Amino acid sequence: MSATTALAPLTGRRKATDKAMRGLLAAATLVALVPLVLVIYYLLKKGLGAWSWDFFTTDPTGNFLGDQGGIKSALLGTIEMVLLASLIAIPIGWGVGLYLVEYGRKGRFAATVRYFVDVMTGVPSIVFGLFIYVTLVLGGWGGSSFAGWKGSIALALLMLPVVTRSAEVVLLLVPDGLREAALALGTPRWRVTMKVVLPTALPGLITGSLLAVARAAGETAPLLFTATIVNATTFNLGDRMNSLPVQIYTDVGSPNDQLVQRAWGAALTLVCLILLTTLVARLASRRSRL
Amino acid sequence: MNPRIVPATLAALALASGAAACGSSNDDNSSASTGSAAASTGSDSGSGVKATLNGAGSTFAAPIYQQVGADLKSQGLTINYQGVGSGAGVSQFAAGTVDFAGSDPALSDDDRATIKKGDAVQIPFALGAITASYNLSGVKSGLKLDGETLANIYLGKVKAWNDPAIKALNPDVDLPSTKITVVHRSDSSGTTKGFTQFLANYSTAWKNGPGVDKDIKWPTGTGAKGNDGVAAAVKQTDGAIGYVEQAYALQNGFTFADVKNKAGKFVAPTLESTSAAAEGIEVPEDLGVSTIDAPGDGAYPIVSQTFAITYKDACKAGISADKAKGLKFFFNYLVNEGQDTIKKLSYAPIPDSLKAKDQAAIDAMQCNGAAIS
Amino acid sequence: MAATTPDVRRDGRSILERSPSARRADPLFRATLIALAALILALIAFFFVYLINKAQPALSHQGVLSFLFTNDWNPSKQIFGAWPLVAGTLISAAIALVIGVPIAVATALFITELAPRKVRSPLIVLVELLAAVPSVVYGLWGIFVLIPKLKPAEQWFADSFDFLPFVGGHVAGPNYFIAGLILAIMILPIVSAISREVISTVPPDLKEASLALGATRWEMIRMAVLPYSRSGITGAAMLGLGRAIGETIAVTLVIGNSPTIGKQIFDQGYTLAAVIANEFGEAANDKLHAGALFAAGLVLFVLTLLINAAARGLVRRAERSSRPPTKVKAVPGAGA
Repeated sequence: MSATTALAPLTGRRKATDKAMRGLLAAATLVALVPLVLVIYYLLKKGLGAWSWDFFTTDPTGNFLGDQGGIKSALLGTIEMVLLASLIAIPIGWGVGLYLVEYGRKGRFAATVRYFVDVMTGVPSIVFGLFIYVTLVLGGWGGSSFAGWKGSIALALLMLPVVTRSAEVVLLLVPDGLREAALALGTPRWRVTMKVVLPTALPGLITGSLLAVARAAGETAPLLFTATIVNATTFNLGDRMNSLPVQIYTDVGSPNDQLVQRAWGAALTLVCLILLTTLVARLASRRSRL
Repeated sequence: MNPRIVPATLAALALASGAAACGSSNDDNSSASTGSAAASTGSDSGSGVKATLNGAGSTFAAPIYQQVGADLKSQGLTINYQGVGSGAGVSQFAAGTVDFAGSDPALSDDDRATIKKGDAVQIPFALGAITASYNLSGVKSGLKLDGETLANIYLGKVKAWNDPAIKALNPDVDLPSTKITVVHRSDSSGTTKGFTQFLANYSTAWKNGPGVDKDIKWPTGTGAKGNDGVAAAVKQTDGAIGYVEQAYALQNGFTFADVKNKAGKFVAPTLESTSAAAEGIEVPEDLGVSTIDAPGDGAYPIVSQTFAITYKDACKAGISADKAKGLKFFFNYLVNEGQDTIKKLSYAPIPDSLKAKDQAAIDAMQCNGAAIS
Repeated sequence: MAATTPDVRRDGRSILERSPSARRADPLFRATLIALAALILALIAFFFVYLINKAQPALSHQGVLSFLFTNDWNPSKQIFGAWPLVAGTLISAAIALVIGVPIAVATALFITELAPRKVRSPLIVLVELLAAVPSVVYGLWGIFVLIPKLKPAEQWFADSFDFLPFVGGHVAGPNYFIAGLILAIMILPIVSAISREVISTVPPDLKEASLALGATRWEMIRMAVLPYSRSGITGAAMLGLGRAIGETIAVTLVIGNSPTIGKQIFDQGYTLAAVIANEFGEAANDKLHAGALFAAGLVLFVLTLLINAAARGLVRRAERSSRPPTKVKAVPGAGA
């Protein structure tokens, strides 16, 4: 055996290097998890204390002195705005995903769309917020003021590329054989898509959409200058609307210990909401037959 | 598990939370502050006012707006006020995204030029002390500081607490060798303008250097957003010094300095010394007063006024008639019943001479040329 | 068998033929989907044009190069030199990459190559969980946990190692280093996930060949896996960079918001994204100031566009190529 191609016998040095590097890689993995543990630990330690029935059922009072209230308007506002954003982003995202898979596997137009969807995933969320601020808020749509629906549109812009990409991935997994079988039976193209492809891919589509929803629920920057912040609960999306991330962001800078504790409690609530949504998403994906 | 269970669960959650919220929406008023009793004796227009007013601006006066807002909720008037700094407040008011602005400095000619929708009216309704608060373990409230030393601290020339300049003013105090962490505002702030005006009066280095403005180039230090941000930064950093309005300092149990005033006396910020700053002030035509560096033995030298700003004719500027009515009621309240709330928060009420002129301006507020009832 | 042809004509058409209204459905469906896809292109185009339009007043007032490279951000004096912001963005992103990428790649290697099968799935879920924490919560945690707890260590480091460039000075609280650290934590999941994808496309033959020749596991990784996945991992790191540049809320809460370029990593700084979040309120009525903020947004948009395009190009190329590395590296200690 040529000396230049054979590996030397397994000396202690090589063994030691191997053990050391493997240990290093394992250690690095543990180091990566340390922040996660610390974040969860402090969220529970400082946030659980804020939780109470009143915490979830009273609005922030806006008092300077005295009782500061809870986060009811923030929690409901987040749910409302994210729901509206999902209603906008999910149909459009699924639609574009369907286009890319059913009609656009080749072709310049589809490739361009695919490329720009990729591009959109990388745009910082604050740029979306700024864009909506100038077009809708300062531009004076529906009265030149901040409104919940404008925040929803900013969130929808954020969710759209994520939903589209995940939809495309899932729809590609649907076997072409299914489509061809349906087509061979004389089913019109649109029916094949709606009645065969979509139901098959539905669990995966829902997973992808819920992950986008979880992401949108945690975003602050797009809401800062579109829906801003308000104390009272409102169900009118045409008014200013409170939201958990913006409430936390506002309370964080305060010297008032009550407000800081409320921020921790709200942060814990937000993380729980996101984890719950992610959990439901993963459970939905288990049902996928793809 | 049926995949349809997911949208069904979400819909059920939405319905449930909607039902719960509708059911408990009456709880909002159960948290009405103890101040609502004081608000019951309102002027006649109280019963007919139901509006939501959006305002933004000075964090210096934010405690007042917040507290008054909580008090007025029971009377049907909802005030949404965001403390974003005087500069941002005027800017948003001019852009039309808020109905009124809170600003500590009076509107300058430049400001008025940017307000294109109509003529603005500014109502000074409170005076507050800007404290020089510090976080220094072992040192109690009442450390003596003067304009020049404060300027040198903020210029970065005085770097540690046991610097000879501070020692000279406080020979009896045991000063630690901690480094001074300077905290200032990162946003456009009326409090900054008042504070820098005071510094410029006593330090030529400051006057020719950073100067006087709502937003300046700070030679050193950490920036924080809002009076509350500066208070939080001072609270969290040992050895820090920051300029915060007195309500924030008291709320957090800060220690603050006795500052040397124009008459040469070291004065602590109290209700009396703050009120004393208003004695004998000149009131110009547009009510744009300034109380910084007031003369008078007992006057605290860094007292700032604060204005509530809206349009003389709100309806002409595009604000609805209901809101215009609400604005007049609100401003009226600030200048009359609100003065009690102001005192509770450790701000000083405006002197009677100024109050009369304010009242005249408020009475002159119109909607499309007609007086608001 | 005599074929009884079924009656295939009705209304003058074959029953297998669709009715005119049904025939319209397919093209309509297709057109709707194309319209939605075109909507995305229109949105991006509109975005771009609008941003440039709104940034124009400030850029012509200041000059594009002057905007990018003048070290003087002073909106009250109408001076918009964004270099401190650009520098701050780059510095915090650089710190994030230096800390985050090695750990992310190490995690990816461990999970794919070294971890026992049963541990693999839970580990992946745990790393993904880092991405589930919203930016504002990281900021909250940064202010109240990271900054106070790390201050003594930072001060010790600054004092002991002040011979190093960019190290030294007084540690006040928020600074570049903390911002970079939090960004590192935030980019970890994405860099790790993409690295994992890339590493798992290394042909097993290559790995088995080196193991068969007697390489230890680490040597196999170093000889077969890393060279092969190099460009893909670079792509992953660039995606992390793109994310770090655009991150707003967590950064603005822990970087100190001082529009100067600090001389040490423990000084306060500012970033493009943070300045937009902090100053948009003041710029509501000031077209010049607003224009400057838009210009900052435009710079962010273009930067992330370029970085993401390059990154995805690298990752796609790495995953598609099946050519082995051209050189098999010699193993140290091999006989002469």
